[in-house]
Amino acid sequence: MNMLFKSLGALTLLAVSSWAHAFDLQQLSEQLAKPDVIHGQFIQEKHLRALPQPLISKGSFVLAKTHGLLWLLKTPLQQDYRITAKGIARRDNNGWQLLPNKSAGAEQNRLFLAVLQGDSSGLQRDFELALSGTAQQWKLTLTPRSMLLKQVFQQINIDGGALVQTIELLETQGDSTLLRMQDSTAEQPLSEAEQHDFAE
Amino acid sequence: MTLPSERRLPWLFLSLLLAVVALAAWQWRDGAPLSANLMELVPGTNPDALELRAEQRMQEPLNREMLVLVGHADRQQALAMARQLGEQWQASGLFETVQWNLQADLPALRTQLLQGRLAMLSADDRQLLSEHPDVFIQQRVQALFDPFNGFTLVPSQDDWLGLTGRIQNSQPKHGAVQLDIGSGALIADADGKSWVMLRARTTGNAFDMNLPLQVADLLQHSREQAAKSNVQLLAASGLLYAANGQQQATREMTWVGGGATVGILLLLLLAFRRWRVLLAFVPVLVGMLFGAVACVVLFGHMHVMTLVLGSSLIGVAVDYPLHYLSKSWSLKPWRSWPALRLTLPGLTLSLITSIIGYLALAWTPFPALTQIAVFSAAGLLGAYLSAVCLLPALLKNVELRPAQWPLRLAERLIHLREALLGCIRTPVLLALLIAFCVGGLMQLQSKNDIRQWVGAPQHLTDEAQTIARITGFQPTSQFFLIRAANQEQLLERQAALSERLQQLVNLDKLQGFLALDQLVSAPSQQQQVRESLSKLPSFWQPLLDLGVPAAALQNELQQLQTLPAEDIDAALAGPLGEPYRTLWLGPTEDGVAAMTSLQGLNNPSLLRVQALDLPGVVLVDRLGDLNKVFAATQISAAELKLASCVLIVLVLILPFGLTGALRIVALPLLAALCSLASLGWLGQPLTLFSLFGLLLVTAISVDYAILMREQVGGAAVSLLGTLLAALTTWLSFGLLAVSSTPAVSNFGLSVSLGLAFSFMLAPWAGRHETVSETAA
Repeated sequence: MNMLFKSLGALTLLAVSSWAHAFDLQQLSEQLAKPDVIHGQFIQEKHLRALPQPLISKGSFVLAKTHGLLWLLKTPLQQDYRITAKGIARRDNNGWQLLPNKSAGAEQNRLFLAVLQGDSSGLQRDFELALSGTAQQWKLTLTPRSMLLKQVFQQINIDGGALVQTIELLETQGDSTLLRMQDSTAEQPLSEAEQHDFAE
Repeated sequence: MTLPSERRLPWLFLSLLLAVVALAAWQWRDGAPLSANLMELVPGTNPDALELRAEQRMQEPLNREMLVLVGHADRQQALAMARQLGEQWQASGLFETVQWNLQADLPALRTQLLQGRLAMLSADDRQLLSEHPDVFIQQRVQALFDPFNGFTLVPSQDDWLGLTGRIQNSQPKHGAVQLDIGSGALIADADGKSWVMLRARTTGNAFDMNLPLQVADLLQHSREQAAKSNVQLLAASGLLYAANGQQQATREMTWVGGGATVGILLLLLLAFRRWRVLLAFVPVLVGMLFGAVACVVLFGHMHVMTLVLGSSLIGVAVDYPLHYLSKSWSLKPWRSWPALRLTLPGLTLSLITSIIGYLALAWTPFPALTQIAVFSAAGLLGAYLSAVCLLPALLKNVELRPAQWPLRLAERLIHLREALLGCIRTPVLLALLIAFCVGGLMQLQSKNDIRQWVGAPQHLTDEAQTIARITGFQPTSQFFLIRAANQEQLLERQAALSERLQQLVNLDKLQGFLALDQLVSAPSQQQQVRESLSKLPSFWQPLLDLGVPAAALQNELQQLQTLPAEDIDAALAGPLGEPYRTLWLGPTEDGVAAMTSLQGLNNPSLLRVQALDLPGVVLVDRLGDLNKVFAATQISAAELKLASCVLIVLVLILPFGLTGALRIVALPLLAALCSLASLGWLGQPLTLFSLFGLLLVTAISVDYAILMREQVGGAAVSLLGTLLAALTTWLSFGLLAVSSTPAVSNFGLSVSLGLAFSFMLAPWAGRHETVSETAA
């Protein structure tokens, strides 16, 4: 599901685009790159083909331009994650535990962070990007280019205004994930605890 | 003055020559029957056919595959260059496959994962499932919500229990290399650059004569092309070593062969002052032809190293014509046929003793030396035949009036020696010489290493090491061979070994390993998984709480229970089996066998200990074994040397009597001893090759002792003949000392030393004879 975050990150800083839109990719990436820290709540709905009800989980997140991402899952179970340049870590009773690199996943997260930190090389190559709407209400569609990605993802839809609002991920096999970001704010700086989490 | 038989001989010989030329032409019909396979040269340490098969299996990729890292600070540029090179290489026709990105067949992967849910589960996961089924379920629930779990190939509804995800995650990691999901390329980051992995597999192997050079050329071209875009290429392959070896062999053959030829021709012209005397080179050419043809007849091909070492035959082959040409200083007028008649017995003896010496090399366990022995023996025979049958006819009307200064030089040398003997008597000299020998031998150190065979250039080894550092891949020639009665036992044995190896990995004593039990577990363990799964329903309430339908779970469990046990062949057939396929040796005469391959430079004794009490497991360490064989062969080489001396004494008893024969053989032996001592004084190590060199010197220098003993035409003329013969031989062997292959240069050095001492000692062969002759 790291694709979610990859796309989320992509939006914080989108690379070159010469498309003649009223609202173009360049403007979008500039818009999303502005805030240093974003705090917000998320609801993740996992729609599995075989399940009548989606799997719903909720929590909050902190996206800090210079540090990385904190992803704090609250219900139905509690679990904290952190993505930084060092990799993905999960918090257990002994503090943050760096997860062993899994070759595909680690690469995605590395890419995500690279994009997040302004090194935005990857997305244009991996996806066809299509943007519509205005700066206040826009929709971006990512269609995978490579054969490998096409076997996993059908399409990724992202929409938002000043900040990202929803990310929808359609898997080739029929499952989908909807991620809703709510009450996002760019006003609040990193709290001491959050700084500590990133530093540890 | 020409006998009737001497009229027929040239024609007889010419028809033989014609036949040999025809045979050679037929042998070369499909190009040069040359080989550059180093492993052909070293002794086969394994009588065991299975070990040999395993070894070939492990060697094969090294000799056919090339690993290239395409590096640039910008990942996109590195990828673009990798793609471009990949296309160019594919189009070059040199490669069977060129791969820079994975064209993963995801449906096939999914099928394999689903089919292998029982068989491919790792040992840790099996343990968790049987001992803590509650934790197992809890982890599954967590994974369903975990946004950072990496993407799983099998959708949840096909695998509610998450077994396929576990299998995916437990597959061994590929060093520092990671999959770039967009391009499918494998990339490692190091030294501030992204390195894209490009793998190419050639159509032939490293020992096809042309292929390595073509591949090396293509790589060089690609390097230049990449450098223009600031992209750096790093490459490692057995092919590159082979290409380098070939270029080096060609270069050295040109130097040694060319140098010896030019030197010898100059010497001939200076001494005999007739253009026609250059015809003395005909036996050399005929000798080379005979040698090459004999090699291809016996071995099917000839190794390039045989050619390099064999080019020293030039100096020995030219000795035959020199035998009778040098008689022109005493025979006046000199005519070819009578001169030949005078020297024929000596010539024949010298052929026999030299061939005995060379053939002694053939009995060493080194295929390289066997080839050189055959090449040289056949070459000498050819040179002898043409010197005896053809050359006198070609020189029939030549009247030689050689320069007088060489003779005066020889006379002066003899006077010098007489004067020396006047001051110090022979026994005293001998005592001094023995003191010199003892002193030198005390300092002599023996050193044997397979690496002496390979003049591996620094830049190739450096590059291979950089690649190993960046990617974490460091294939090694050591591996474990595991034998068992059946697959079940095999997997159990391999798993027992893996457990120990994993401890070494944890201790940083081993970089990594690959074994079949990492892919598929034994049938009995698959059965245990089935049993553990059947207890799961009492623990899976948390999954039901998420909304997973109970029927779906029941259904899945039902499916798992009926999954058939998977065997090794089935597991290897799927895409996940790919890296493991080389490891499976399949059915053998008494069961089945497989290998465990290793990564990194490892301590062989530590590895050997791991296999000690594991039945059916052995460490195969070819290089280590070879070094031992080298040391053991030194002793057998010394024995061979003695045996060849005994044989030569037996041959020489007939013409010279026992005392004479012993004296003639004792001198070369003493010369060999002096050379050994000199190596000690020079601080040079004694290697197997120096010993082989000395073995050869014994054979060649018996020739000088015979010349000096026979004294056809007087002491000065004989000494001059010996001097010329020694000089020509030294010109060809001495030049080997400049070779960049340590083994070859060591050989050249010891032969050079041996020749020098043989020449100095040779006059003692004839001393008594001279006295009695002048007395009579």
